[in-house]
Amino acid sequence: MKQASTGAWKLWLGRRWLLVAAGFLFLFCLSHLGLKLTHHTEGYDAWAGTIRFFQASVSPSFTDENPRLPADATPFLARLGEDLIRTIRYALIATAIAIPAGLVLGLLASSHWLPKFLRWPVRIFLSLLRSIHELIWAIFFLSAVGDAALSACLALAFPFAGTLAKVYSELIDEQKRSAHDLIRGAGGGRAQAFLSGIFPTALPDMITYSLYRFECALRSSAVLGFIGIETIGLTIHRSFENFYYGEVWTALYLLIGTILAIETFGSFIRRRLSQASSPKQTTEQNPTEETLRKSAPRDLPLRASALAWLSIIGLAFILGPSLVNSVPEGQRAERLSRFLTKLTPDPVAPSTQLASWSERLTAWKEGSQELMPWLANNWRNPGAEALGNTVIMAIAAVLIAGAGAFLLIPWACRNLASAQPMGLISGRGKIREMISLMIRGFFIVTRAVPEYLYAFLLVGLLGPSAWPLVLALALHNLGILGRLWSEVVENQPAGEARCVIQIGGSRLQCFLAALLPLSLNRFLLFFFYRWESCIREATVLGMLGISSLGYYISIQKNFRQYDDILFFTLLGAGAIILGDLLSDLIRRKLRIGRFDV
Amino acid sequence: MSDISVRDVTHQFGATSALAGVAFDISPGESVALIGASGSGKTTLLRLLGLQQKPTKGQVKVMGCDLHEAKSCNLRSTRSKIGMLPQDLGLVPNLRVIQNVILGRSGSRSLAGTIRDLAWPKLSEREEIFRILSRMGVEAKMYHRTDTLSGGQQQRVALSRTLYQGAKILLADEPLSAVDPARARDVLELLTSLSQEQGFTLVVSLHQLELAREFFPRLIGLKEGRVLFDGSPTDDEVKTLYQDAQNHQDPVRG
Repeated sequence: MKQASTGAWKLWLGRRWLLVAAGFLFLFCLSHLGLKLTHHTEGYDAWAGTIRFFQASVSPSFTDENPRLPADATPFLARLGEDLIRTIRYALIATAIAIPAGLVLGLLASSHWLPKFLRWPVRIFLSLLRSIHELIWAIFFLSAVGDAALSACLALAFPFAGTLAKVYSELIDEQKRSAHDLIRGAGGGRAQAFLSGIFPTALPDMITYSLYRFECALRSSAVLGFIGIETIGLTIHRSFENFYYGEVWTALYLLIGTILAIETFGSFIRRRLSQASSPKQTTEQNPTEETLRKSAPRDLPLRASALAWLSIIGLAFILGPSLVNSVPEGQRAERLSRFLTKLTPDPVAPSTQLASWSERLTAWKEGSQELMPWLANNWRNPGAEALGNTVIMAIAAVLIAGAGAFLLIPWACRNLASAQPMGLISGRGKIREMISLMIRGFFIVTRAVPEYLYAFLLVGLLGPSAWPLVLALALHNLGILGRLWSEVVENQPAGEARCVIQIGGSRLQCFLAALLPLSLNRFLLFFFYRWESCIREATVLGMLGISSLGYYISIQKNFRQYDDILFFTLLGAGAIILGDLLSDLIRRKLRIGRFDV
Repeated sequence: MSDISVRDVTHQFGATSALAGVAFDISPGESVALIGASGSGKTTLLRLLGLQQKPTKGQVKVMGCDLHEAKSCNLRSTRSKIGMLPQDLGLVPNLRVIQNVILGRSGSRSLAGTIRDLAWPKLSEREEIFRILSRMGVEAKMYHRTDTLSGGQQQRVALSRTLYQGAKILLADEPLSAVDPARARDVLELLTSLSQEQGFTLVVSLHQLELAREFFPRLIGLKEGRVLFDGSPTDDEVKTLYQDAQNHQDPVRG
């Protein structure tokens, strides 16, 4: 008993400690970022621009706002439609590549196949795949491969394969092993036991997660437009720079609509997979095998959507212009070789761009003592500062998002913010339900728009500083955390919370006294999970022109200094992997704490 | 020749020893109950009998196969003759009943065969499974998802799986743990009558002493990893079995 009480006490301290630390961290971030939210050039009327932008939200354009377009130009809506289809196509192809790759890598990273010392290299490789942002992959692929379409697909497929593999391996390792052991015990082989004992139970979660990743791929595909690949992001970029705000809003609405449609489809599939479909009633007294098989419960909508999904992926590969068309056949090897030279750190790069392997090797040997000074120099100026800024932006953003979501969820979660909180009748509730609906809608919309897009728009409206990036990250993550946390609260058993309402407590009291303590561990789990992705995203947001890793990456991109880009990228990747490890550690501690009490 | 022979078996998990110097033989077709308090080593012993683990010391020989000299026998084909009914049943919740039953024969199927069986079972197999499920009284659920069945029905599905497997030995780990007391007798009735009907060796671990005495001619009593009695115990022997273990379980009521 004594041990249990010290355990609980430690946990209590652990949570307090986290809160205090978060407070100090936020103050530190504030001192670093400054309090000035807007940075405009002299004489620029910021409000007028902002007001004009938001006014346009009620009057999205259906025709070109540019008066000087030639008469035979493709009309705006048709162009936008093509962009959207291209965006979806790249996302589809990328996910179709990433899923099988993630499956193989995920199996290798799970505890079923490889011994531990071989599993770790796979896991490190996966972290590296994941921690390099798709925008940076795209910069590399554009230079190495050349074709925009192919580069877009590969740039999305690589990090997504890493993420999918990680989650697949976790899902596989989470499954109970009893069926697996039983099949082994009945003489089945390892592969048989895995395939029939573990895989079927992990599959529904793997499918829902893959669908969610497709939604993410769609957002990322749109964002690729900001580095010049022709997706819907490029249209938004161009229209915004030309002050065609109506066009921006049309594109935004279209993108949000598409993402919401996919999300609805995803939750439909999730519902279908989690519950068995009800069997048809057989009227016969003693049914034969034949009649049983014919009346077996079958989920036709589920099967139809699987079929539709597969055919859409097939069409994405077949229809439309070829993915490889812009680079002449003979120049591919040359292009790749030139890219490799530029990617090699300057001191050890060969003198000619089209060097052979032996030339590369000698250049590497000759310049190797110069390599350390080169690294040190890059670290001093500007690596360290850029990295610091990036991490600070990520921390400030996730803290703001967490605080915002925390304040909103008591008003959002369905079991509390209703006319019948926790199933008990209360006098009033219509307004509560309206507020709850609005907040949940807000969560959905904020989450549907990618961070990078928010950042781009906010930099345009607030002027260049770190704040628009922080706010962009915070806004997107507020939506995600709000949704995830509400789900946690909604999934709590009603018992304890109902007691508070039963004895006359208010909804807020019920939240603080019963629902929050029950949910806190999972809240923190999700919070740290979002922290990881904030760091990852913050590394590229700087590409919008604010001193951080992304800023230097975008500058070096203009000079085609791929070795420097690689340096900053790996620096960011290192931070992300460190953040991953840290958050893994904290999450594991929290998980153990859950069973201690 | 005995089906199962256990010679001087000691098994340890780290520093704690689960079994110490256990020895007995079981002949083909025999029905045996392993009884003892929680933590007396019943489950460990069943795992050893199922050839799932090597004992730390001593010899476990099942149908002529010994894990210490596994090269001399075909481990997989031996295992395919041992049916297990673990406490949590080991069913795949989101597969259909027929698919779970079909997995019983994994030991005599290739990987490709397993995939085919799961997706397109042959007519002969379907009919055989239907017969077995009918014998168990759950044929109506043949094409339902396994997790939609009640606990008792799932236990019958798990039993059907071992019948389809054609096991020569059935090892059941506390088959009454999830069954309501009123149905406990039915389950033991079913197990023992199946064992006689199909002629397989039955080893069941049980908490419930009275039920064990009623249904099994031979009881092996385990206490702290040692065999306390083997055969039909006297009342005094039974008393010592549960001494110092009163807080675990009431031996008489079960």
